[in-house]
Amino acid sequence: MLNDLLTAFQAVATVENFLIMAAGIWGGVIIGAIPGMTGTMAVTLALPFTFYMEPIPSILLLVALYKGSTYGGSVSAILIKTPGTASAACTTLDGYPLARQGKAGKALNMALYSSCTGDFISNISLIFIAAPLAMLALRIGPPEYFMLMVFALTTVAGVSGRSLLLGLISACLGLLLATVGEDMYGSFRFDMTVEMRDGLSVAPVLIGLFAIPELLKLVVFRHAGAKTALELGDNRVTRAELRRSLRSLFKGSLIGVVMGAIPGIGPSAAAFSSYGEAQRTSKNHANFGKGEIEGIAASESANNGCCGSTMIPLLALGIPGDVITGVMLGAFMIHGLTPGPMLFEENLNEVYMLFIGMLFSSILLFGAGKATMRFFTHISRIPPGLMAPIVLILCLFGIFAIANSMYDVIVLLAMGVFGFLMFLFAIPAAPFLIAFILGPMLEENLRRALAISRGDPSILVSSPITWLFAALAVFVVAVTIRRQLKKASA
Amino acid sequence: MGLVRGITVTAFFGIVLFVLIPVYVPRPNFIPGFAPPPDMWPRTISILGMGLGLLLAALSLSRKPQADADPEDAGAIRDGTPLGTLVLRFVYAVLAFAGFIVTVHFAGFIVASMALLFVMLLLTGQWQRKGTVVLVALFLPLVLYLFFSSALNTRFPAGSLVTILGL
Repeated sequence: MLNDLLTAFQAVATVENFLIMAAGIWGGVIIGAIPGMTGTMAVTLALPFTFYMEPIPSILLLVALYKGSTYGGSVSAILIKTPGTASAACTTLDGYPLARQGKAGKALNMALYSSCTGDFISNISLIFIAAPLAMLALRIGPPEYFMLMVFALTTVAGVSGRSLLLGLISACLGLLLATVGEDMYGSFRFDMTVEMRDGLSVAPVLIGLFAIPELLKLVVFRHAGAKTALELGDNRVTRAELRRSLRSLFKGSLIGVVMGAIPGIGPSAAAFSSYGEAQRTSKNHANFGKGEIEGIAASESANNGCCGSTMIPLLALGIPGDVITGVMLGAFMIHGLTPGPMLFEENLNEVYMLFIGMLFSSILLFGAGKATMRFFTHISRIPPGLMAPIVLILCLFGIFAIANSMYDVIVLLAMGVFGFLMFLFAIPAAPFLIAFILGPMLEENLRRALAISRGDPSILVSSPITWLFAALAVFVVAVTIRRQLKKASA
Repeated sequence: MGLVRGITVTAFFGIVLFVLIPVYVPRPNFIPGFAPPPDMWPRTISILGMGLGLLLAALSLSRKPQADADPEDAGAIRDGTPLGTLVLRFVYAVLAFAGFIVTVHFAGFIVASMALLFVMLLLTGQWQRKGTVVLVALFLPLVLYLFFSSALNTRFPAGSLVTILGL
């Protein structure tokens, strides 16, 4: 294997390949940082340009775009409280408060270090544990998925602020909104208009919930909004901060690797799970949500930790884990490569070239991130009263461009108003978002499991894996309640 | 505040459970195998939501209203501004959003975006920077329009009025 990897290294280490990967990473970071522009959009747009390229450079370009956009989402999440991608939503929780404290540079640097570390670990895991992990993922059925989703939902407890009750209400609202549209058996729910039959897309809901309320806060509480001007100020991540965050960073990377390897989970759930885990185990858990640098390390290492491992089921089994890997599956096929077990038999050299290229792209991500950071920091000099309406217009254009749909634009604005009302009622937005993203998977696997068991709910605790996830969920909820009771009695 | 919140949350989920689900989540005549019906999940969530709303209301009546203990309270940043003014500003913003959606149909996406950006800049208190406001409101939507339509081939709505005038 080592010889094959060295041969692949020689083949990949060309100026042309480096330029292609650098362009992909750079473009991905910029696209990911623009609210409404997703990694999927970046990869899809680049796909036609790869028709005229060799197979491996073209796949490397798409992977670089994917990685760059995953990191890029954190830039706008930190600077303007508008996650560029869904997976960066968790970074907003601590990134934006840090930016408000004049430590935007520190937050951006930590996001970059964590993204690169998570990405590198993910690539290493792709190389060495692709096949065994893919076999484990294959054994997970609907009951196990359901319990895994229940466990992922316990993250709500960690992002609920001081009131778990308000967090749970927010999660219920998110779960309810996720039921709009066609269900798994073709029934339509809450289809008050024809457009609502397609349900609500994640992008307008996510951006509406996080970006528009900030604008409305500025409009309504004008004077108070003016105080929230971002200052870059403190740029350096100190050794003590890095040491303090190392545990969450590595744990987040591993969570990202495992969750990324399971088809359908994706980086958003990984980021929230990692964040929740970091909050539960950190000495500074009380500071989470108020500008804790460890929170950024946890979420960013996890979402980039998925980038390499989402390729595990794709390469080993031919199963795309998410939309982006679905597009990549198409790219492989266009170039005459069929992902699956046979790929390792027939195109082993190409597979190793891809592995090596992905390792290089982690290093390039660091360089592109550092350079782009300086470019994006100019945003902080724009007054919030000017910036917020500009962000609104960026969101409107970006959201419309995703599906050429005015319906999505209406959803964006409606969610903005709804998010502002939630703020007035002091209902936190993060649990809503987690529940909205995980809700469809939770329901689908519950209904599928009940259909398999002919309505017997005991199927949900029928295997050791379901027991493991159920026990973890109970443990997490118990710890959270205990902590809240302690706080209340203090 | 806690009591109002609790009652509002309960009422919201109650309306969903008793009004919206019976009308908008019909049970199909045939459900394959032992699959649960489509209203099972929304009903479960609504019942849970109502329960949580009632708990919120009940807790707000207790001596230690935990339900109020949220750090980011709107009251904290109100800064003494009269409630009427705050409500009026919110209504203006919502009207601007609604106006944008209506304007898109008549004047097209780009003109509606320019108008919305201009209004929002004024609403956020940027009227002192008149030149900047006008420049940003005119050119930003134009630049975005050119980028999206040329690079991504996005077709933005032209608006019925613009189409009639043949612009």
